[in-house]
Amino acid sequence: MKNPYLPLPMKLVKNFTETEDKLIHTFTLQYLSEEDEKSFSYMPGQFAEVCVFGKGEAPFGIASSPTEPGFLKFSVAKVGVVSTALHLMEEGTIVGVRGPLGNYYPVEEFKGKNVVIIGGGFAFTTLRSLATYMLHPDRRGDYGDITVIYGARNPGLLLYKEELAAWEKSPDINLITTIDRAVDGWTGRVGFIPAVTEEVAPSSDNAYAIICGPPVMIKFTMPVLEKLGFPPERIIMSLENRMKCGIGMCGRCNVGGKYVCKDGPVFTRAQLNELPNEY
Amino acid sequence: MIVSKKEIPSFLDKLISDYQVFAPVQKGSYTLFKQICSGTDAVLDGGITKLPVKEIFFPQSEKLFSYNVTNEGAKLEAPVDDRKKVVFGVRPCDARSLTLLDNVFNNDKYQDPYYLTRRNNTILVGIGCNSPASTCFCTSVNGGPFDTKGLDLLLVDTGDAYVVEPVSDKGKELAEKAGFAAASDADKAAAAKVKEEAVVSCRVNTDGLKAKLDVNFYDPIWDRIHEKCLGCGACTYLCPTCHCFDIVDDAVDCNGCRVRNWDSCAFPLFTLHGSGHNPRSTNKERYRNRIMHKFKYFVDNFNEIACVGCGRCIKNCPVNMDIRVVLEDIRGSEARLDS
Amino acid sequence: MRMQKLAAQIKDAAKKLLEEKKVDLVVGFAEGSLPLRGTPLFARTPEEADKLTWNRGCENNLANYLRKREGKVAVVAKGCDVRSIVALVKENQINRDNLYIIGVPCSGMIDRKKVNQLVGGKDVLEIEDNGDTVVIKGKDFSETARVADLLHNSCQDCRYGNPVVYDELIGELLPEKGEDDFAEIKEFEAKTAAERRAYLAEEFSKCIRCYACRNACPMCYCEECFVDCSTPQWIGKSAADIQDNILFQAVRVFHSAGRCADCGACERACPMGINLRLLTRKLVKDVKELFNAEAGVNMEDKAALATFTADDPEPFLVKE
Ligand SMILES: Cc1cc2nc3c(=O)[nH]c(=O)nc-3n(C[C@H](O)[C@H](O)[C@H](O)COP(=O)(O)OP(=O)(O)OC[C@H]3O[C@@H](n4cnc5c(N)ncnc54)[C@H](O)[C@@H]3O)c2cc1C
Ligand code: SF4
Ligand code: SF4
Ligand code: SF4
Ligand code: SF4
Ligand code: FES
Repeated sequence: MKNPYLPLPMKLVKNFTETEDKLIHTFTLQYLSEEDEKSFSYMPGQFAEVCVFGKGEAPFGIASSPTEPGFLKFSVAKVGVVSTALHLMEEGTIVGVRGPLGNYYPVEEFKGKNVVIIGGGFAFTTLRSLATYMLHPDRRGDYGDITVIYGARNPGLLLYKEELAAWEKSPDINLITTIDRAVDGWTGRVGFIPAVTEEVAPSSDNAYAIICGPPVMIKFTMPVLEKLGFPPERIIMSLENRMKCGIGMCGRCNVGGKYVCKDGPVFTRAQLNELPNEY
Repeated sequence: MIVSKKEIPSFLDKLISDYQVFAPVQKGSYTLFKQICSGTDAVLDGGITKLPVKEIFFPQSEKLFSYNVTNEGAKLEAPVDDRKKVVFGVRPCDARSLTLLDNVFNNDKYQDPYYLTRRNNTILVGIGCNSPASTCFCTSVNGGPFDTKGLDLLLVDTGDAYVVEPVSDKGKELAEKAGFAAASDADKAAAAKVKEEAVVSCRVNTDGLKAKLDVNFYDPIWDRIHEKCLGCGACTYLCPTCHCFDIVDDAVDCNGCRVRNWDSCAFPLFTLHGSGHNPRSTNKERYRNRIMHKFKYFVDNFNEIACVGCGRCIKNCPVNMDIRVVLEDIRGSEARLDS
Repeated sequence: MRMQKLAAQIKDAAKKLLEEKKVDLVVGFAEGSLPLRGTPLFARTPEEADKLTWNRGCENNLANYLRKREGKVAVVAKGCDVRSIVALVKENQINRDNLYIIGVPCSGMIDRKKVNQLVGGKDVLEIEDNGDTVVIKGKDFSETARVADLLHNSCQDCRYGNPVVYDELIGELLPEKGEDDFAEIKEFEAKTAAERRAYLAEEFSKCIRCYACRNACPMCYCEECFVDCSTPQWIGKSAADIQDNILFQAVRVFHSAGRCADCGACERACPMGINLRLLTRKLVKDVKELFNAEAGVNMEDKAALATFTADDPEPFLVKE
């Protein structure tokens, strides 16, 4: 019987301060052996319980893509015990990773479809994984147009600047970045995600929309997507309920009868419409 | 088969040499399941134990693994308890609760090795309930005072002796090895009579309850029904089917253990997000979750009600929040409590 | 019968308050689901108030439901409830102007644990209250016992069965009782440290950390209890650690020193039957001896540990 509580020890090789306010760090973790790497096969949208030995564990979306071998990436906001301990951690330290956990974005269903990715703030983590996955040269041909609308309060709070710069130039992806208020030197758009989405007006024909971000952003973008004609079955969201076990046993992450950890975190709007609003 | 009550201590003593034997023992004014060192410690006529039998398989506090971490790697040790056990004197409701918990700890995707290894290595010897308490309502939730679900052996108390009824092969083997005498027709008749006379007088009508819960999540009834509840953990910790837990580290620097502790959906911190948002922010949502989980979500997921009618929550709630009354209120009619 | 009469009077008073719209809510007791068990009731209409009752099982401290309430509220309060209310008013948790106290003189509530002990754990189906005695009835038994022997320990020790403050009194005031001698506390103090430690370890080995004690206590209302705090984590969360269980209770009772009205709600709530009043009353006794103060016995006294005077005794600063 595989013990789902045992973490895989991994080495923290990079502790990178991702945002200007220093509240988000991106951690690159390296497998200790090839076997370990083989044992951890994941898909975009899955998460893992990352543990700081002596402090505890917490769930974080996997920001790296399975197409990037050798390491895992997590972008973590400093909010409490585990996240703070991670932020303070020196490179070279051993941490634990338990997973991959949960379901993933339905990339099989996306085949032959246009994909619109909408992200706000630091909830862009698994969206980075998804975009990177679909943009991989072996896979790019499987999908139609890929549009990414990504916003943050100001430019300094956008994650993954390197990737954004590359996507900006790439013909394979249509990247729209936006910030809340104009600042000098900013060449992207200015405005909140719902308004920008309405401006960009991605077509819902043969398309899926994937949306992650703070609750207010979701709340106001949803009507825009509906107006654009995205049916609830083709609007995809990822939930972030509080979790502990990640395997459907500890009882805390349920939304109705569904456990976000085991049955999610990825749900379609249609599925969520059937569930109580406890998220 | 039959065994006289006088022989039970020596029977248990023999078991103790081959198994870890658990039985109800007296602790002040109530009984609890404890590992016994002597057959005479078992208290078999004390009604149901204060804490449910789940604590043997899913202890309140359990070390998942210990670790020793350096910059080179981590040494993890996960001692999974695979000692052979006999739990003696389980009541049918408690035994049934384990079959419900099996769904959780052996779900469609994951297996919990701690719980399942203990389950697989344990023989459950039950004792039927000759005189069910006024707070028992097992027969309303698919159980009964002589229900054998989850048991390996069932003992029927016929006064001076127990008539032994094998339920599973494991149980049969244990009984045969013990060399119990064959039950006479008179013994069997006595056992049948005991069963017939054991009446669970309290009925909770669950007809239509699930249908109500399917649609009443936003019903104003939830605004009031929880009002007196204190939001403590008494009912969940004492409930044989509640399985929520927390996972914490108990360590000095990088050497320590990861431990899981019982937790409760009644506590606000249970669901508090890292962001500060709480999807079940008030006691109303939390109490609703307790009821929904037992009588709707569990039914949706596993086709069983997650309540075995043991009455522990009824007897131990500090404010007399009676689940029977709550369910009746939800069904929209007066409670029918025979007492 | 005294109890029935009181129940009828409470009902009338509550209905009148609701009918005249003097209050929006009456917090009292309804008949519970177990023998001789009252259960908290929240009545918002005269019809709902019809369910109000009074018996020897109205043991909960209703002050617990009164903190930070909106609107006008009336409460059916016995002596200990009123003391807690007074203490909470002083801590600005209850606005006295919005609270209407229906005071009920109380001669004590019956402890079901004692009843169970008396009948050897047999299933009790009915308890008939005959004033000074009760008849405890089960399937094949019926036993008569003196009420005085079955009262909660807190009720036996209580000197304030008569509400110290009220807007309306139900029934008549009861005769005053003599001073509390804290006999069991003195006895415990006389033990050696090792004996005391051993006793506490045995008691708290039973604790399951369900926090019913804390949640039932009207004075335990911290937004974030120190046991729940994660940054820093003051105390381990596993019930397996008896020292942590003791620490939890020790800190809890220190937090309520000078505020605890010795209502016994914590001990009654504890499903594991832990002798919690041993700790709470130690503090009650100390506060009384050191500051000559008791929590919630009048509206005037300042809370003992929230004030300072030049002649404060500070024995903890004196090296013995
Ligand atoms: C599927 C999933 C994916 C996620 N992905 C990411 C991600 O990619 N990046 C990311 O940064 N986050 C992510 N999260 C959120 C992340 O899991 C939480 O921020 C994380 O659990 C915080 O853990 P912690 O130990 O640092 O905080 P904790 O110490 O658990 O505290 C978290 C917060 O809760 C509050 N809190 C904790 N304990 C108490 C208490 N006793 N009383 C009051 N308040 C308390 C604190 O104030 C703090 O703000 C994800 C969550 C889920 C479920
Ligand atoms: S129902 Fe009773 S035991 Fe359960 S949480 Fe509420 S007060 Fe506690
Ligand atoms: S809900 Fe109450 S009666 Fe039902 S199994 Fe749990 S403790 Fe027993
Ligand atoms: S500590 Fe116990 S006795 Fe004291 S006020 Fe709180 S509940 Fe009452
Ligand atoms: S009520 Fe009793 S068992 Fe529960 S935490 Fe308090 S002392 Fe422990
Ligand atoms: S995190 Fe434990 S059930 Fe989902």
